[in-house]
Amino acid sequence: MKTFTMELRKEKRTGIIPFMLAVGILGAAYAFAFFLVQKDTLLNLPLAPMDVLLTQMYGVIMVLNMFGIIVAACMIYNMEFKGNAVKKMYMLPVRVPVMYFCKFLILTTMLFLAMVFQNLALTRIGLTDLPQGSFEFETQLAFAAYTFITSMPVLSLMVFLSSRSPNMWVPLGIGVAGFLSGMALASPDNVLLLIHPFVIMLKPAAAMNIQPNTIVVVFSLVETAGFLFFGLWAAEYLRYE
Amino acid sequence: MNYMITTKQLTKKYKSFVAVNNVSLNIRKGSIYGFLGPNGAGKSTTMKMLLGLTAPTKGSFTIDGKQFPNDRLSILKEVGSFIESPSFYANLTGRENLDIIRRILGLPRDSVTDALELVGLSEFGGRLAKKYSLGMKQRLGLAGALLGRPPVLILDEPTNGLDPSGIHEIRNLIKSLPGLYDCTVLISSHMLSEIELMADDIGILNHGRLLFEGSLDELRKNALQSGFAADHLEDMFLSMVDKDNAGRKRRAKL
Repeated sequence: MKTFTMELRKEKRTGIIPFMLAVGILGAAYAFAFFLVQKDTLLNLPLAPMDVLLTQMYGVIMVLNMFGIIVAACMIYNMEFKGNAVKKMYMLPVRVPVMYFCKFLILTTMLFLAMVFQNLALTRIGLTDLPQGSFEFETQLAFAAYTFITSMPVLSLMVFLSSRSPNMWVPLGIGVAGFLSGMALASPDNVLLLIHPFVIMLKPAAAMNIQPNTIVVVFSLVETAGFLFFGLWAAEYLRYE
Repeated sequence: MNYMITTKQLTKKYKSFVAVNNVSLNIRKGSIYGFLGPNGAGKSTTMKMLLGLTAPTKGSFTIDGKQFPNDRLSILKEVGSFIESPSFYANLTGRENLDIIRRILGLPRDSVTDALELVGLSEFGGRLAKKYSLGMKQRLGLAGALLGRPPVLILDEPTNGLDPSGIHEIRNLIKSLPGLYDCTVLISSHMLSEIELMADDIGILNHGRLLFEGSLDELRKNALQSGFAADHLEDMFLSMVDKDNAGRKRRAKL
């Protein structure tokens, strides 16, 4: 808890927290605006009302979240490298892996908050604009959990990459490349492609139904834990030289 | 003798390059130990090993009777350090930077004010660290090392970037520390005159090897016996290093 509070203090003036909140608000605003403009077209699609609500807007919201994660992960470690502050941390009685884990937790919490904003907007649209009685809160909650879990491998990978790169442009470039290659590989139904964390995050947006895919969930959890483990291990053993 | 820092055959190799070669230091408690050597002699590498920033290839060391790496956290609690260049969070003010360190060390709030006063930064504590001049960043780094008045200080070129009055001020501060709270200081500097004015003991390093260790008087005796000029530390240092370099060249030719 002490390290977590300290990490939050370090975030002062970095803009990470307002940035991730802005991602959430922007996603929510997009959902409102899109449904306002396209309501009739959307409700006339040959899909169940809940499928329309959750799948038709998730593509853009997911891209926003993905870029939010990429940029925020780069920022959260850039401040450690900018004034060589991380070197001082290694010279203090602080467990650097705990510091890494706290940064991971802060980003996870901020992504969670951003997704709460976005899902509140979807709930509001569901309650007011979907045909009477067609909104199912449990279905939305399940889809929200599914999209959160599938976003975590990218977050875990990006924190790991930014913790190892003093030059912020390296993880940023890898993030953009990951997004572009993920876009190209998201549609094919090849399980092996799920090794690519960006493909996993894109999967709910590429699917036409809102049923969580168990294989995607398993891959998400394994990759999130895997990248987190590598990050913690590197923080412990690959010291500043 | 009561030693605060001792190293045994400390060695650091980077592939075929030996940065530190079997260095055995003995630093007395409450003394100021001047660590001298030309660029690339291995001073910073030795200091980095003492702080756990880089792992020794061979050898061991103890600080206040504690062994690395088993007692890493308790060693770091007792050591204030400043290595190569100041490290700070550019997005935080000087005071906020020190507050982060204070929280890690579990020190009282007023220790930040104390450290800022010690290095003469009180006036600028509320300014963002990225807006500090080089000298102010240097002072901030020193304040970070002095926070909580640790029993051991490891300072690598702490007066780099300071103006003459700043150098004088910091020198007087470092000189006063052992008397102030029985602190042991290991300090490296290129400014031999500075070291001459403040150090009790001297260690001279060249190409990773420790050429001399002892008090200034012993160094003077040693220089006179070897037929070197012994008026100033600079003369003795240069003669010793030149002699070692000439010997190395001869051995290389053979």
